[in-house]
Amino acid sequence: MKALVFERSLPRFAAAKVAGALAPGRGAGPGPLRLTELDPPERPGWRRVRPRLSGICGSDLSTIDGTSSRYFEPIVSFPFVPGHEVVGDLDDGTRVVVEPVLHCAIRGIDPACAACAAGLTNRCERVAFGHLEPGLQTGFCEDTGGGWSTAMVAHDLQLHAVPDDFTDEMAVMVEPTACAVHAAAAVGEGDVVVLGAGTIGLCVIAALGDRSVVAAAKHPVQRDLAEDLGATVCAPSEIEGVVRRRTRSMLIGDQLTGGAAAVVDCIGTADSIQQALHLVAPGGTVYVVGMPSTVSLDLTGLWHREVDIRGVYAYTHAEFERAFAVVRERRLDRLVSATYPLHRWRDAIRHAAEAGRRGAVKVAFDLRDEKERERT
Amino acid sequence: MAHRPGFVLEVDRSTPPTLFHHGEGFRLERLPAGSRVIYPSEALAPLKDPDAAIRHALLNPVGSDPLPALLKPGMKLTIAFDDVSLPLPKMRRPDVRQRVIEAVLDLAAEAGVDDVHLIAALALHRRMTEAELRHAVGDRVYDAFAPRGLLYNHDAEDPDNLAFLGETDQGEEVEINKRAAESDLLVYVNINLVSMDGGWKSTATGLASYRSLRHHHNVKTMRHSRSFMDQHRSELHSSNWRMGEVLRKSGVKVFQIETTLNNDTFPKPFDFLQKREWDWTARDRASFIAVSKTLERTPSRLKRSIFQSIEAPHQMTGVNAGEVEAVHAITTAKVFEQQLVPVDGQTDVLTMGLPYICPYNVHSAMNPILVMCLGLGYFFNLYRGKPLVREGGVLIMSHPTPWEFHPVHHPSYIDFFEQVLADTTDPIEIEKTYEKSFAEDEWYRHLYRTSYAYHGVHPFYMWYWGAHALQHLGGVIVVGGDPKAVRRLGFKPASTLRDALEMATDVVGRDPSITHLHNPPLLVADVT
Amino acid sequence: MKLRLPRPAFPYSAPTTPRGVEPLPGEPRWGQAYDTDWARRTPARYVRFFIVEGPMRAVVRALASPARRGADRLDAVRGPVIFAANHHSHVDTPLLLTSIPDRWRHRTVVAAAADYFFTNRYTSAASALAMSAFPIERKTVSRRSADQAARLIAEGWSLLIFPEGGRSPDGWGQGHRGGAAYLSSRTGAPVVPVHLEGTGRIFAKGDKRPRPGSTTVTFGAPLAPEPGESSTRFAARIETAVAALADEARTDWWSARHRAHAGRSPALTGPETTSWRRVWALGDRRSRRARQARRRWPELG
Repeated sequence: MKALVFERSLPRFAAAKVAGALAPGRGAGPGPLRLTELDPPERPGWRRVRPRLSGICGSDLSTIDGTSSRYFEPIVSFPFVPGHEVVGDLDDGTRVVVEPVLHCAIRGIDPACAACAAGLTNRCERVAFGHLEPGLQTGFCEDTGGGWSTAMVAHDLQLHAVPDDFTDEMAVMVEPTACAVHAAAAVGEGDVVVLGAGTIGLCVIAALGDRSVVAAAKHPVQRDLAEDLGATVCAPSEIEGVVRRRTRSMLIGDQLTGGAAAVVDCIGTADSIQQALHLVAPGGTVYVVGMPSTVSLDLTGLWHREVDIRGVYAYTHAEFERAFAVVRERRLDRLVSATYPLHRWRDAIRHAAEAGRRGAVKVAFDLRDEKERERT
Repeated sequence: MAHRPGFVLEVDRSTPPTLFHHGEGFRLERLPAGSRVIYPSEALAPLKDPDAAIRHALLNPVGSDPLPALLKPGMKLTIAFDDVSLPLPKMRRPDVRQRVIEAVLDLAAEAGVDDVHLIAALALHRRMTEAELRHAVGDRVYDAFAPRGLLYNHDAEDPDNLAFLGETDQGEEVEINKRAAESDLLVYVNINLVSMDGGWKSTATGLASYRSLRHHHNVKTMRHSRSFMDQHRSELHSSNWRMGEVLRKSGVKVFQIETTLNNDTFPKPFDFLQKREWDWTARDRASFIAVSKTLERTPSRLKRSIFQSIEAPHQMTGVNAGEVEAVHAITTAKVFEQQLVPVDGQTDVLTMGLPYICPYNVHSAMNPILVMCLGLGYFFNLYRGKPLVREGGVLIMSHPTPWEFHPVHHPSYIDFFEQVLADTTDPIEIEKTYEKSFAEDEWYRHLYRTSYAYHGVHPFYMWYWGAHALQHLGGVIVVGGDPKAVRRLGFKPASTLRDALEMATDVVGRDPSITHLHNPPLLVADVT
Repeated sequence: MKLRLPRPAFPYSAPTTPRGVEPLPGEPRWGQAYDTDWARRTPARYVRFFIVEGPMRAVVRALASPARRGADRLDAVRGPVIFAANHHSHVDTPLLLTSIPDRWRHRTVVAAAADYFFTNRYTSAASALAMSAFPIERKTVSRRSADQAARLIAEGWSLLIFPEGGRSPDGWGQGHRGGAAYLSSRTGAPVVPVHLEGTGRIFAKGDKRPRPGSTTVTFGAPLAPEPGESSTRFAARIETAVAALADEARTDWWSARHRAHAGRSPALTGPETTSWRRVWALGDRRSRRARQARRRWPELG
């Protein structure tokens, strides 16, 4: 089968890091990702999934550019096939969306860890144990394969049948939307500010439903979509003024005296988290949804204003189920801006990395027409 | 030099290119043959001895006892004066206000008046800085009063220092500065740069609170002020006059002093700006070339500080004192003597070059909202009778319109531009949806009261000033402006005057009549 | 060892007068009689321009750090004027010469005491060149100096005069003499009262060397004699005007105007007593106490 494979190669990591620092997405060239022929993964008791559409996620991009944290090293297994936003076909022709989290039940760990026992599978403590190679999700694990290929395997517990009225584009948005549903569930009462209007930002705005949301969006396409999803939108440089006025705050230096009860950061850079800390009300919470890496922050305000900062990762099984409804109601399939065949992977990754600037949101691989796919 | 009155020139092939102000720069434009250019009158001869004229006015007021007869030992005297928005550009020292205030104070000292306050009547404008106050009232007055807290800026948001005096017959609340209201005599020192200034507008606007101001600073009033320069057809003035009646009835005794200036606006080397192009000498042409070439290469910050340091050689042409309305009538006549230019009939397309300054960006940056206000609020309204441009006509103005705001002076403008105008440019909608939240914003109030910021509601008023023009015009085109900022204002950007005139034909049809307002120096078109 | 230059012999030096011969009563050449016309011709004016704007201004700035006020009161005045100032110090003349508004600065002559500035060839020439001085008697205005002053005013020169007739002996002003008033009545040139504050601390009469300090020069509104006013009364009015300016410089304009109108401006001449109270009332106006070193910490109460 044809697959994009991410291999462990220190020189290539280094090259990716250098290239990725020049411009986002450039790590694809010299980096450890390459298109190759591979034996399809097989696993007794698991189902073969032939991906139809497979999204490119922000965390994938930072892996490719070598900017993701070394934290990931022990919870991924090389070589792996990336791709965890997958809609595909089972051998019996059923369309499914894969819920990629590889938690205790899937790893055959019994009894399950405390988090899994409580249903919070996204917090599973055993992502590097059990009968699977380490890997926090499908798409980071050697054993399961990933969406950026013509075939992969998935556990029954990972499969969600796609309703008939769902297009593939809608289905591929279910996984990112599930993240947003999880974030929205975490956000408490009061004003919400969303920083960043890429895929996750827009999905969070969608998942927040009727709540009053102020969003900072950099690019025109993002602005229009965010506005259409019901947020009050402004440029990142203006967000401070907007939040100040809405929350009737004053300014001391450049720190708002009040602020929003919840700030959802969907970017994950030092600047965005710092801005979130500026915008959050005393006693409020900053939700870090965009994957951060090593960042340097001034936390004096966090200390003085008793601000909570909280990570938000993935979703539970129930939240994943709920994401279907959100995608349907808010028509999130419109976020899929471009699809590429596998052999144009460099273009695809470049496009995804420059999505906002090039007027795109979600870029995905389209595997429906791959010849390899039909081989059994 | 004998003064030549203003006139209307018809452009033909022999006409030299016409000077357009263009923010901190100039353009020379060739207007199509057959266009009209309205030139202002030249500067009137100034008073020979201004100090003697002031003293004469104080001793021989109209409709009032002489000032010395109104001054008694032990009385409360308050002197209010116009703020930094007048005159434009600021005038060379000594400022008229200094001359008048010193004359008044000298009489007060002679009468043994001890309790005197001086108040900068700035309504919702930003507070004046020490340097600006010193420039306006002079060092002697500043040093005598400011350190003791007797010379200060009016605060329209200080609940402890405002006095509610009642309502007009139309339910307009009248609330002004408490010290002024409770004084035995309020002397108001005006600079009447245009006919809009002065009269009851001085006290009823300059010393009023937001609560009171909103009754005439709103879309409805502004749309029915045609124009602001014609007191008798201006709803803004009617409202102020009604408030004046309330002031009079509640016992506020006002001794009004109004001064008029000639339109000698630009000092050397900028004095070519107030000459007619065909009068330019070799020296004028040389300075035009030198100045414009230099400005092209000057960074914008430096350019701004050069322009903002211009001090006009304005000189006083008249001073009158006494009862508000009687004084104002004489003053208005004098202002019109300098500024009125008869114009025959309206035009399809009106062009104008907007200068670097308007009343709200002294020592500051001219932001896009002020560009709109200067063009549509002020210059459009420089008419008596009918607007210069016909209903459905097109206004073409030339200004760089940078997307730039003074962070200290105009904080609420930034938010207005980026939030309100992004949503709508309709004045009614803006007034309904957004005014209250800006006007009552604690932070803007804090900045207005303690820093040097215009009040939170001020950008709304700027937009309302242009409300009549927005309703009247078929389109507005900005030549040479930042396209993004111009579009945000709801106007069309054009890179050259030729393009703009071409675009205008889409609205007004082929071969439109074109009129250029050659302004400043200021003129008021008397359109018949 | 004393170095003696050989004295050139006659005819390279003046002849000595033989014993027993009565010399001719020659024209006096110094003092009152010194002819300063040369100092008002173009070459001397150029030299003076560079002296005043160069070293004199630098010395004045270093020594007196002047604040100059009230020059705007002279905006409407055209033509020559008579500046009448109080007098405490040798610094006064240079200070004024560098403070007078441009319009008059290089067309002003200084009335200087003949018995002090014009005692010999060198002091006379130096005074005439650097200060544009011309000799005048202290006590009474002689016909000759009055005529000369009137002629200079008629030629368009402004006049700087110290009507007190000399530097203050004790820090208080002295009564004004009538010179300025008389010249104003005679020529029609207005009198501009000027007050100098702080020069007494810098180089007062009797001081050995100057000590830097800060000064304030205050120009008043020009005064003209009223019809029928005698020189004495006009002189008194000038004195009052200078006193009001002194009050203004020490307090503020408004309070000073108040007292001036009430006729209560503190007199320049001080209390009419010879006792210690006269010195006491002077306060630190004449104190030459060394300025205290700037504290590094604020007073904390």
